[in-house]
Amino acid sequence: MKIVVAYKWAANPQDAEVRPDGSVGWGRAKSAVSEYDPVAFEVARRLAEATGGEVIGLSVGAAAIDTPLARKAALSRGLDRLVLVADDALADVDGTRIAAALAAAVTTIGDVDLVLAGDSSVDVAEGQVAMTLAGQLGWLGLAGVSSVESDGGVLRVERDLPAGISTLSVEGPVVLALTSDAVVVRVPGMKDILGAAKKPTQVLALSALDVAAPVVELTTLSATPPATGDRKGVMFDGSDPAAAAIQLVDALRLARAL
Amino acid sequence: MNVSSQSWILVGDDPAVSALVEAARAVGDQVTAVVAGPRTVADDVARSGVDRVLWLGATGDEPVEAYAGAVARIVVEAAPRAVIAATSAAGRALLGAVAAAVQAPVLAGVGSVEVSGESVVVSRTVLGGIVEHRTSVSAGPALLALAPGSAAGEGAPAVDVETVGATPRAGAHVTAVRTKDVEAVDLGAARAVVAVGRGLKAREDVELLQGLASAFGAELGCSRPLAEGVDWLAKERYIGISGQHITPELYVAVGISGQLQHMVGVRGAGTVVAVNSDKAAPIFAQCDYGVVGDLYQLVPAITAALQAAR
Repeated sequence: MKIVVAYKWAANPQDAEVRPDGSVGWGRAKSAVSEYDPVAFEVARRLAEATGGEVIGLSVGAAAIDTPLARKAALSRGLDRLVLVADDALADVDGTRIAAALAAAVTTIGDVDLVLAGDSSVDVAEGQVAMTLAGQLGWLGLAGVSSVESDGGVLRVERDLPAGISTLSVEGPVVLALTSDAVVVRVPGMKDILGAAKKPTQVLALSALDVAAPVVELTTLSATPPATGDRKGVMFDGSDPAAAAIQLVDALRLARAL
Repeated sequence: MNVSSQSWILVGDDPAVSALVEAARAVGDQVTAVVAGPRTVADDVARSGVDRVLWLGATGDEPVEAYAGAVARIVVEAAPRAVIAATSAAGRALLGAVAAAVQAPVLAGVGSVEVSGESVVVSRTVLGGIVEHRTSVSAGPALLALAPGSAAGEGAPAVDVETVGATPRAGAHVTAVRTKDVEAVDLGAARAVVAVGRGLKAREDVELLQGLASAFGAELGCSRPLAEGVDWLAKERYIGISGQHITPELYVAVGISGQLQHMVGVRGAGTVVAVNSDKAAPIFAQCDYGVVGDLYQLVPAITAALQAAR
């Protein structure tokens, strides 16, 4: 089975600075393999071990996604090889553009049976790109996937949905977005990190990919930091727990919060 | 593509559509629902205040997502001004197929929608809630994902359900659905919520927090790692960006550092209390009352103080 792991190299908005004018500064924020993606690498590796398949990492984005650190971070997570589309023309583009570039790269890789992705990215956090990628490829796309196993030529897929735990049999090709608890993720060890240096990375030129032009014009009319609700910020020292507890309960009662 | 003043909503197997219909009404003279789920869902949606319901016919054992391509073809032909779906797994797959068919972006985190001239103007949160944007969408359809609201009441007037033939993608079959053996929990309706995070050391200690929640007359919630990382609490109890968004009168965060992804889910809470051993935890900059200390000492003490105050 030929498995592509579509991942994002991104920073956590927790570390970003939101300025009073609503602009966002990423200066202090360090990029990494997006928080909910390692589960996709792990599931891909396990499926490949079970089926004798190949695992290919794929990421598209600004030029900054292709650094030695970024390559190693992906390649140390059980990949056989890595494919990148790193071009500043893809900086700050919308998710449908990213999905179109991913789809073009999947098509270029060729004969892919399965694309795995994390539930959502740590920065945009909308969980949409993997499903739009399925649309771009004309494949089935399933989100909320909590387990995937190979059974002959068929995938047994389990999904954790509000209505219940749903089990499916799926004949590929398919895009699956995994919940963050689908498997326990191993932390890459020294051997994985050293081995990463020997694995191949292929860089695809954006200009060589068939990526449709956007039809819709998006204009940001205004950006504002969200109202923080001006909290009181009254602090109690908990080194004497009983005293702190009484102070807290008294304060809550006075504020009519109980 | 030429854009009409129609708006469409995309529905899978969840009949809760009130917020989708409201947003569709704000931008379209005519609201059409396309339902890729069971007939009962189509019947419910027919009472939700839409003008037309197109039902893709009896679903066999295919998942809703197997109809995504068929839904996209029907929607694209109508060239609507806006296409709206829930931020559910099925909603995202249906919107993804439409997004790919028209090469337009999906805007999520949508709060309100209005028409301004030839454009649709959307207020939404971006980057997990750290910024709010007003965004104008022009020259093509606005594809919007939002929290779906509630289902229509039993007695509401209904429009006819029109059946349109659609073939699902072959090869995917639901073989079993088992209900989750967890008690139903509605954090959204709770007056007070006590939530616990990574400060908790062992699964058995959930009971300690349950005691505190009872003393507050509160429901128990948690941050993402406790529901998805270690499965100590049910997913329905997880508060944050992709979990529950709640506005209780009182919110008590215990052993929760106050990461943005969590705090987005409680931004509208009345009074916020934080208990954390790390005095530098970001939660203390976002609370009304904070106690710095060990939760294993403070939780029993606060529980006792609440019981004594009765």
